[in-house]
Amino acid sequence: MADKSKLYESVDSSESRKALIKLIVVKTLCYLFLIFLTFMSFFFFYLLFINTTRSNNQLQDGGLVLIPSDSFFENLHNLFTSFRGEFNAVIGLKNSLIVALGSSLLTCYFSALTAYGIWAYDFKLKKAAEIFILAIMMIPSQLSSVGFYQIAIKYGFRNKLWLLIIPSIAAPATFFYMIQYLRSTVSKELIEASRMDGSNEFMTFNRIVLPIMKPALAVQFIFSFVGSWNNLYMPSLLLSNKDKKTLPIMINALSSTSWGSKDLGCIYMAIFLSIIPVVIVYIFLSRFIIKGVTAGSVKG
Amino acid sequence: MKKKILCLAAVAAVGLAAGASLTSCSKKEIFHIYAWNTEFQGYFNKYVSDEKNNDDSNAVHHLNGVEVKWTITPSDNGAYQKALDEALANNESFSEDEKVDMFLAEADYILKYVNSDATLDVKTAYGVNDFSQAYKYTVDQVTDTSGVVKGASFQCCPAGLIYRRSIAKAVLGTDDPTEVQKHVATWEKYNETADLMAAAGNKMTASFADTYRVYSNNAASPWVKDNKLEVPAFVNTWMDQAKDQLDKGETTTYGVWDGEKSAEFKKTGKTFCTFGPAWYYNFCMGPAMGNGTASTAPDETKDNYSPDHTWGDWAVVKGPQAYFWGGTWLLGAKGGNNTDLVGKTMNAFLKDEEILKKLVVDDGQFSNNKKVNGAVATENETQKKGNGFLGGQNDTKIWVDMADSIVVKNNTIYDQLCNEGIQTAFGKFLKGELDSKEKVLPEFYADIARSYPTLVIPSSK
Amino acid sequence: MQSTQINIENSSNIEGLNEVENKPKKKLSYTKWGYIFIASFFVIYLIFTLVPQLLTIYDSFFDYDPFSGILVTDAHPEFCGFLNYQRLFQENALGVIEIYQTIGNTLIMWIIGAIPQMVIALILALIFTSTRLKLKGTGFFKTAFYMPNLIMASAFSALFLMLFSQIGPIYTLFKDMGWIPEHFDFVVNKTSARLMVAFLNFIMWFGNTTILLMAGIQSIDESIFESARIDGASTRRVLFDMTLPLLKPIVVYVLITSMIGGLQMFDVPQVLTNKAKNSGTRTIIMLLNDYLNMKNYGRAGAISVILFIITAVLSIFVFKTINKKEDR
Repeated sequence: MADKSKLYESVDSSESRKALIKLIVVKTLCYLFLIFLTFMSFFFFYLLFINTTRSNNQLQDGGLVLIPSDSFFENLHNLFTSFRGEFNAVIGLKNSLIVALGSSLLTCYFSALTAYGIWAYDFKLKKAAEIFILAIMMIPSQLSSVGFYQIAIKYGFRNKLWLLIIPSIAAPATFFYMIQYLRSTVSKELIEASRMDGSNEFMTFNRIVLPIMKPALAVQFIFSFVGSWNNLYMPSLLLSNKDKKTLPIMINALSSTSWGSKDLGCIYMAIFLSIIPVVIVYIFLSRFIIKGVTAGSVKG
Repeated sequence: MKKKILCLAAVAAVGLAAGASLTSCSKKEIFHIYAWNTEFQGYFNKYVSDEKNNDDSNAVHHLNGVEVKWTITPSDNGAYQKALDEALANNESFSEDEKVDMFLAEADYILKYVNSDATLDVKTAYGVNDFSQAYKYTVDQVTDTSGVVKGASFQCCPAGLIYRRSIAKAVLGTDDPTEVQKHVATWEKYNETADLMAAAGNKMTASFADTYRVYSNNAASPWVKDNKLEVPAFVNTWMDQAKDQLDKGETTTYGVWDGEKSAEFKKTGKTFCTFGPAWYYNFCMGPAMGNGTASTAPDETKDNYSPDHTWGDWAVVKGPQAYFWGGTWLLGAKGGNNTDLVGKTMNAFLKDEEILKKLVVDDGQFSNNKKVNGAVATENETQKKGNGFLGGQNDTKIWVDMADSIVVKNNTIYDQLCNEGIQTAFGKFLKGELDSKEKVLPEFYADIARSYPTLVIPSSK
Repeated sequence: MQSTQINIENSSNIEGLNEVENKPKKKLSYTKWGYIFIASFFVIYLIFTLVPQLLTIYDSFFDYDPFSGILVTDAHPEFCGFLNYQRLFQENALGVIEIYQTIGNTLIMWIIGAIPQMVIALILALIFTSTRLKLKGTGFFKTAFYMPNLIMASAFSALFLMLFSQIGPIYTLFKDMGWIPEHFDFVVNKTSARLMVAFLNFIMWFGNTTILLMAGIQSIDESIFESARIDGASTRRVLFDMTLPLLKPIVVYVLITSMIGGLQMFDVPQVLTNKAKNSGTRTIIMLLNDYLNMKNYGRAGAISVILFIITAVLSIFVFKTINKKEDR
């Protein structure tokens, strides 16, 4: 800062004015560019909102309308009562929540546990275990899907939500983040200290280490929650029972069939309801989430 | 601290949810039905279930006190067949609340299930043995190669040409069915009328594929013969006609089931006609129906009213070629527990005359019972009444005249994906994505080869 | 939150230091805990990932009957060697080899989404971190740009499907403006469908990439820039001669990881174009899904193996770039 003002002082005033004008022009262009991108990011969601407020009859007439109409609650009511077909918002929200919460809690806890196991103890296979986990990190999850699907069918595990939750105990990418975090933030002396206090190993992990890892846990919780919440591929293979479907499956079913005489207002409302929970959570946690992404990139 | 509470809340929520799903796992009798849409569910709820109403389609209904559970999988792209295959193959190992008791099937793939061990003889298993009033094709279709009947259809589906009265009056000078039939009695007449419609600024149909079923359900050869895919001759005829009409602005590129198409049936629409059987009114012409039915006019004070309805402005005639479209068969699944309920449902739709009469009069459907249909047709004739949606026309009479002559031939287990696939491939050509008609078949072959790798596909030059 | 963390560390340092050195041998007895702590990960991985993976590979050498379980009750898959692989590399009726086509589609859609994404993210990262511009409200913009990343991809695509359908508002706009020919269908046309998929991917990921690149820029030692400026280097020179070359490893890393993710592209094209059966947007995973839906485990297994090989090769590149980054 100080250097810069010195720089400006050294040039004559007309040039500094030129530079100033240039700076203002560049700044304005930057803002315009940013506003344009913001517009792009939000425009389609705005249209979505507008269309949730329009009746089926209005929607069928087509046309680009940017002013809300008055059918929002009617559409909402119809979606929950008379809308026929694949989309059941209550069941979808419930199942998506169970799977997303369950799998992200397991992912966080067990990734931290595994990372701690490798970081805190010295054992023969320590290095091998870590290299193994790093190596499997890049294997696409689809490689296992064919076999997984077959096993699920063979043993009657279709339509069991736990089948989507339990495997998230082994999450290589989250493990990687956790071990990086442990290495950079936590000191091993802490463990020794807690051992001196007579704490056993699990207690040390649960009561001392986990609380320290809270920031990392929270970040990974959010990412795995969102990942699971939005996931379509595996759930759509495994869940066919109406009572077990998650929101993305319902959305996919909605768009892979013809709409026929379906209420378009209800379809927009269904999409709106699938998006809105995450948006609300984001509004409250955005600062924290962005910090998390930044931190993740530096460590990763 | 706040975080801790949040975490606790989250754990509690998962626990609760898991608990809730555990309790629902405990043994509870469930009558489990698989279907690809909610059409039958509506009639079942209204006429057979203990509740006897369909005011809230998401509410749980019961039959003989047993909870009825519906698993709906849309049929597009074979998704329903896939769901059925999986369920039926594993039905005996399923837990109580997952076992399938009954499923619905369409003519396009029904043979696969009729000729499989996964379905049961309705006579011995469910006590369904009176088919005397059922139409012959509906029984033939579910009779396996050894002569055993495996299911029952709840409807019979002779189909015709459904036209807009006001447009007929404006362009043809009459909206009387007998007169209008003269204008569409043959395909040549039909094409001439289409030209008239276009000249008056209307469209003949709202979808290029509207005429497809008229041709395909009269096909002279099957899609697959000796494990070889052979495109039937009608495909070419249909494509030429559709392309010609599209070029002249007489039809659109919308698919049969598209929302864009059904929007054409509104007051603002300019489409003269469409093709379909009795189920078509309720199922495909929603915007035209408003919230009315065959027996009641649209009511502004009730839910789902649409001011742009065209209720009463329609009529039906035989059209250029008699045909049928559909039939929804109920089949019992091996391994299911509630055989009594399956039997009760099938029998209700085969011979409960009280229910079937309501189905015909109130819902404008055409039942699978000759006696009931005949009685309604005669009653309408003598009392000069009929289907309100069709401006009081006695459509049941028309269906009765057509129904006996329906013969199903040449269908195979591959039909659904073939019928869907050829329409999609041709649609791509109409929408300008394939640059010549010659590319339609190869496009279609590639699609079928992916689904049925064991079929021999013609080599395209 | 952070302050408590520091407190704990400090106190532990004080208490811990003198004790540790006294009892070095005690560490040995904790060995078993290492195994116990990592056991759950490996057991679950073995059961739910490794075994299915091996089964997938095994499947790829067998021929499955599409009607098994229904019409054919006693069907046993037959061993067929590399037949599934051979068939994947055979031409279909259109003279196209589908596995190449789907890989090509995936890459094309990834490229037309990722290149603009990288360029725009780079520009954004530079102007956000610029000490000369000192833009206001960067926090808001970052928040806004990152949001689409959290939106359910299938819901976002379903929205586009609706908006661009023939009674959708965007379609009507294009039609009224005369921007599209008669009978045009956005999800059937190869080019427009690919652009839509790429655009959705772009919108969903550019914010994320921006943040990653910003972190990269901020990790560069600020003093290098300061000294360059004092030496009289112009902004442009600093950008092209210093910032960009220093960022290259991060850009390469982000690109390759994004490509690995891109190869698994499924949700967006599936929801947007599956109904239209658009062969120009069918991705590898969609092809895999198609075969899986027809119970063709053999062909599906073969595709999985091919995808695995491609990803493995790319991953080696990633590790190399990471190592390079560390060498520096």
